Amino acid sequence: MDAISINNARLRFGETAALDGVSLSIPQNKCFGIVGESGSGKTTLMRAILGLQKLDQGDIRILGNPLVHSRAARKQRANFIQPIFQDPAASLSPRSRIRTLMNEVATVLKEPLATTDERLRVILNRLGLSQSVVDKYPHEISGGQARRVAIARALLMRPSILVADEPTAGLDVSVQGDLLNLLQDIRRSEKITLVVISHNLAIVRLIAENAIVMRAGKVVEGGDVGSLFRSPREAYTRELLAAWPSITQAGPPARLVDVQDHGELGL
Amino acid sequence: MSGLVVTLKRICSERDGRLGLAFTLAILVFALVGPLVSPDPNAINIKARFAQPGLTHLLGTDNLGRDLMARTSVGTRYALTLAVMIVVISSIIGSLIGIVAGIAGAWIDRAVMAVFDIVNAFPPLILAFALIALYGKGSATFVLLVTVVFIPQFGRMARARAQTLRNLSFIEAERMLAVHPVTIVVRHYLPNVAGPIIVLASMNLPVVIAFEASLSFLGFGVQPPKSSLGTLIKDGFMSINQSWWPTVAAALVLAIATLGATLLGEALRRVIDPKTASVS
Repeated sequence: MDAISINNARLRFGETAALDGVSLSIPQNKCFGIVGESGSGKTTLMRAILGLQKLDQGDIRILGNPLVHSRAARKQRANFIQPIFQDPAASLSPRSRIRTLMNEVATVLKEPLATTDERLRVILNRLGLSQSVVDKYPHEISGGQARRVAIARALLMRPSILVADEPTAGLDVSVQGDLLNLLQDIRRSEKITLVVISHNLAIVRLIAENAIVMRAGKVVEGGDVGSLFRSPREAYTRELLAAWPSITQAGPPARLVDVQDHGELGL
Repeated sequence: MSGLVVTLKRICSERDGRLGLAFTLAILVFALVGPLVSPDPNAINIKARFAQPGLTHLLGTDNLGRDLMARTSVGTRYALTLAVMIVVISSIIGSLIGIVAGIAGAWIDRAVMAVFDIVNAFPPLILAFALIALYGKGSATFVLLVTVVFIPQFGRMARARAQTLRNLSFIEAERMLAVHPVTIVVRHYLPNVAGPIIVLASMNLPVVIAFEASLSFLGFGVQPPKSSLGTLIKDGFMSINQSWWPTVAAALVLAIATLGATLLGEALRRVIDPKTASVS
């Protein structure tokens, strides 16, 4: 069973086709990349997968269950799939302390607060965050911390699928490397399916095993990352790669820190 | 430092804010302390009618020899009580209706907006006459009337803010966690709607005070022997040839109350509104 399967997803905003017959399957426990330029439909696809955007046509299945837009279905889905938004600071309610936001998970899961607190302590440790971060408001923490807090909150739900929209946006290069390594480690240890949406080919190449390239709401090309980036079949993918000289170097780096040693990710 | 202290400091940092705060505090003290230190506002003393302001009667007396200081302070207290009550009730009801309409959208939003448009289509005074004809004169009718008139203002503002918030990441993150909708409204919508609603409420206070005075002046508000700023101005106006101070005293208090609340509301808006706050 696939983690996510999408069949002929179509969505129009006025005259613009945001999604134009998108079909894809995302296998479980893998990292899947969705790349494309701005306006290609990546974020719309993410929102559709998360159930935040209804489709005009087509269907989406999460772990075999059809995506339904009811409160009961959303409640059930919350245990399977969680997002990490592009601007994580904006995804944390500005007038609530982080502890309040974390405690909401206990209420949703009907779990004793002490249990959630204990799990949170472990997760924060793993993410390299101080325990005192929970006593702060979102505006009192850095962008990198906010992203880790958003990841921690998502992980508290014990999801099977994490959908990360531009996970490294707005972070400096060293923090980007740490964060991608962290996501990889979490994915492997927790057996989570990770969907990474990015305009940055380098990031998808480094972290994902399979990927698709989107343009104007359509899937231009897809496959395993190695062959997709080494020998792209479509002209658009070649154009994207040509616009990114640093990633045409042979051989995928094993860890991001190796790339950092060369100076930068070219972001 | 708490948000309230910071807000007060910012208000005091500008001239209009200081003036508004000073006027408002003066009126509050007058309304709260005045009735305690003054004689019975309804005690008639024909021998002392139209007494000039002096040590015995600080603001003089009216045509029945009643102490104007006592009557004006009682009238001010009455006006402030009604204004605060109306603004609080209408802001809470309006905000909740507006937030629900803004979140729900579709036909619920259209229905709520249609009701707001219908209420707004009636000039407040005409609506007042209609309600008074239906329910009679009195404070309850006045509270009902003005609350109904003000609900759409608060509702529209809350709706617009809720529509903006609805698509923000932090609300979507709450929905993705399947947090209960009521919790989302109470914990995440209301605190983020509260700022502009508080500003609007503060700016509506003087409007309610003036509206109450207008209705009372026309004879549709507070009924004798109770006093309100409107009835005091009216009674003074009827006997303006004998004495000018009853009218002037009540009008002055009304002017200071509305001016103070307006200046304070404007200052609060500048302080809370991030666009103007950054400029100042």
